[in-house]
Amino acid sequence: MAKNENTVMHERNIQSISTKQNYAKTFVKIGVYAFLMLMALIVLFPFYWMISSSLKSLSEYKLNVPTLWPKTIVLRNYAEAFTTANLGRLFANTAYVGIVSTLLSLVITVLSAFAFARLEFKGKNAMFAALLATMMIPGELFTITNYATINEFGWMNTFKVLIFPFLVSVFYIYLLRQNFMQIPNELYLAAKVDGCPDLKYLWKVMIPLALPTLISITILKMMGAWNSYVWPNLVANKKELQMITNGLRNSFTDAAGSVNYPVQMAAVAIVSAPLFLVFVFLRKYIMSGVSRSGIKG
Amino acid sequence: MKVALQNLTKIFPSRDKKAGKEVVAVNDFTFDIPDGKLIGLLGPSGCGKSTTLYMISGLQKPTSGKIFFGEDDVTELSTENRGIGLVFQNYALYPHMTVKQNILFPLQNLKGADKMSKEAMLERAEWAARLVQIDDLMDRKPSEMSGGQQQRVAIARALVKMPRVLLLDEPLSNLDARLRLQTREEIRRIQRETGITTIFVTHDQEEAMSISDMIVVMKLGVVQQIGEPQEVYDNPTNLFVAKFLGTPPINVFSGKVSGGKLYIGQDAVLEIAGVSDQEVTVGVRPEGFELAEDGKLHCQLSNVEVMGRDVSIVSTNEASLNPMIRSIINADNKVDLANKVVSYNVKPHKLFLFNKETEERIPFEVK
Amino acid sequence: MVDSKHQWKAWLYLSPAIVLLLVFTVWPIINTVRMAFMDGYNGLAIIGGAEFEFGIANFQRVLGLSSFKNSLYNTMLLCVLTVPISTLLALLIAVALNSIKWLQKGLQTIFFLPYVTNSIAIGMVFAAMFNIVGNMGTDGNDIIITAGIINNILGVFGIEPINWINAGSAYWANITVMVVYIVWNALPFKILVLLGGLQSINKQYYEAAKVDSTPRWRVFTRITVPLLSPMIAYVVITGFIGGFKEYSSIVGIFGEDMGPAGAPGRLNTIVGYIYDALPKMNYGVASAAALILFGIIFVVTMINMQVSKKRVHY
Repeated sequence: MAKNENTVMHERNIQSISTKQNYAKTFVKIGVYAFLMLMALIVLFPFYWMISSSLKSLSEYKLNVPTLWPKTIVLRNYAEAFTTANLGRLFANTAYVGIVSTLLSLVITVLSAFAFARLEFKGKNAMFAALLATMMIPGELFTITNYATINEFGWMNTFKVLIFPFLVSVFYIYLLRQNFMQIPNELYLAAKVDGCPDLKYLWKVMIPLALPTLISITILKMMGAWNSYVWPNLVANKKELQMITNGLRNSFTDAAGSVNYPVQMAAVAIVSAPLFLVFVFLRKYIMSGVSRSGIKG
Repeated sequence: MKVALQNLTKIFPSRDKKAGKEVVAVNDFTFDIPDGKLIGLLGPSGCGKSTTLYMISGLQKPTSGKIFFGEDDVTELSTENRGIGLVFQNYALYPHMTVKQNILFPLQNLKGADKMSKEAMLERAEWAARLVQIDDLMDRKPSEMSGGQQQRVAIARALVKMPRVLLLDEPLSNLDARLRLQTREEIRRIQRETGITTIFVTHDQEEAMSISDMIVVMKLGVVQQIGEPQEVYDNPTNLFVAKFLGTPPINVFSGKVSGGKLYIGQDAVLEIAGVSDQEVTVGVRPEGFELAEDGKLHCQLSNVEVMGRDVSIVSTNEASLNPMIRSIINADNKVDLANKVVSYNVKPHKLFLFNKETEERIPFEVK
Repeated sequence: MVDSKHQWKAWLYLSPAIVLLLVFTVWPIINTVRMAFMDGYNGLAIIGGAEFEFGIANFQRVLGLSSFKNSLYNTMLLCVLTVPISTLLALLIAVALNSIKWLQKGLQTIFFLPYVTNSIAIGMVFAAMFNIVGNMGTDGNDIIITAGIINNILGVFGIEPINWINAGSAYWANITVMVVYIVWNALPFKILVLLGGLQSINKQYYEAAKVDSTPRWRVFTRITVPLLSPMIAYVVITGFIGGFKEYSSIVGIFGEDMGPAGAPGRLNTIVGYIYDALPKMNYGVASAAALILFGIIFVVTMINMQVSKKRVHY
């Protein structure tokens, strides 16, 4: 190729480029913010509509041209929601199942993660790999046999069935083991030299150091109980045992057409409130667990 | 393309908002870079050389001052519109593209009068690849290449659109010694062939001296000296520049001017004029020593290193501000290690006087 | 370190997990496969001492049922619609978020908000938003009192009220509502992952692109997307896996009937189909369906990974 074909880039009109560049920058910036604001509005709208509706009277809710915010605020909807859906009972049930299963799950997870992270035993790696492999199988596959099993055990419609079948989470064991592994082994050996028993070491050193992960697990487990719907609906759908989500769904499906929407929205708002509080105060724990898992609740 | 910097200043706000001080990275830098030259920005780390380069590229905005490309004020112009090429210290080759795609990428972005046909782009890319001698690696990905090869791809990518100005940020820092020598010659050759005004940043004075048309020595954001490499080497404006240039580095002594004589320790080494009596700092280039039986400067001999054509004599002197004095003399001169003392005469044009406080150069005449 | 004392201690610590996993995870894997291959296996019939032939009859039966085919169709349709839409939207939002400074943290928080919601509860809110209050004239005395907030908003743009989810609603309308809700629900996780990925891309690639005068759109398609491709692949794969297990979001909006009034089961999914079979103790059929689901997920994941291998860079 002839040399002279490789001419240096052309001269340019800096004045017009400058103006164009500034317009383009502003234009893009406005566009980006407009897009984000619109998306944020769409994301927030259901929450706004839930709260707004929950405070309306039924007649105002049914207005032909809906009001954006209730003209008269009807707090009675919330009281009514509480009694209609029997929310007190549902709260108690859910709290009981949530707390018991979270505590048991934490103990089991900590012990297993400790064994996998610190102790040596035959077949450790193979067993850990096998555990991880089960994570790839959709939970629905377990549900069928578990349904049959608890039938066999005669556990149908008991709290046991809500607590035990999904108590052990391989993912949490994995998460905590990774965390334990990051704690220098020297600490463990030093403790051994000092004659510190395993459990004491676990309690005094490992658990405090892995506390953020344990808090993440606790939150996710509690949220799991709060949001669980499918399994309880299958195996413990008696009124006395119902979990909050089941109770919520079932309280307002009985008489379609004549649903009192403001009361329903009040109930939804009550059920959503604890999740919001968790979100506001403990967001970083949830996010750190979430980004590693891809599972919900 | 001529590049002019006018009172260019960059101040970084302090990171710690309460206690920390703001950092003046570049302070009042004015310089007209002539068209088609290769300019080396030189200085220790933190001297503001990279910041200057990034301001010329538009990736950083100056706090005050102006930048001109030719007659155009480009200070407010964004990087995209400046028409420059930049070789990053870590190359920043797109890892998911082959060498060919990397080199073609800038061409595909050209618009207006610069827009090229597909065939012309390919031809141009091959030209650039041949220029840096990587035309046989066109289908590799960056991860499959050595540092030196990646380096050359980065240069080809920056050059291929024939930018109005080419900027290189520590282009040789990731290469081993042999490749570094080879690549710097290549940069010089490519720059000569294309005639593109080129500015590069380095902390390696030898690198800058060996290929630059002009060098700019910087320290703590302030330009110390601008000039042709030999000129700066032979005529440093201050002690910092004198110390920074040259390998082995300049030997520094504390000395004294008294009654028209320059003393190093007790030895009167030169008779000079034009300097009032005062304490001074004396710098002598390693090649500024001459062995002589009746030499005026006496040093305690400690070692002789043979380097082939030359020998390097290592000695000590009480007045020396460095632990060792290193002189380089022709290997024809035989030095007997049995001697305890070695005597030198000093070449006056290889000796510089500096103010003891300000470290500025003090001119003198030889009597 | 390996001594017998440690050995039994390790097993002791592991024992609760092992026992529970054996009963509720390992046994189900074996048993589900077993039941799937026993023709017409039924929990009630086995009490009566019935014996079942070994074979693939359950699979043939399931695949022949129109109710299963319908579930499969719904599941696939929702997957195919929601995964690309939510991924693309999440990508745009993440890129936009990554490009701004002012309000970035606040907006990030807002976009994460749907993650910590109860999908049944918020499904009920969506149902309320799409609902027509009162019944749409199937009986003579039903009057449309208000068309629902979504119809009201659409009305501003001159769109006639649509029967989204009520009795007599069209299938496409139902699916539209589901797509909107599922995408809304799927965004936070995807934005979180993609934004994390974006923030870990070396800024120097963008500076190099600037030097090369790359237009914004080309930066997005030629640099951002390829460099983000591992994260995009992750989000797509988890999106498909989640999508094939879609169930509770439909319950949230349509209730246990899995369809609008008058058309129960119209929006049923594979998972819903499996759950429906349980109270009748049709374990064989349910197991076959579950294995088919597993197979689909497995195949889709494999395809995704193969495509990723070609498309995902480095």
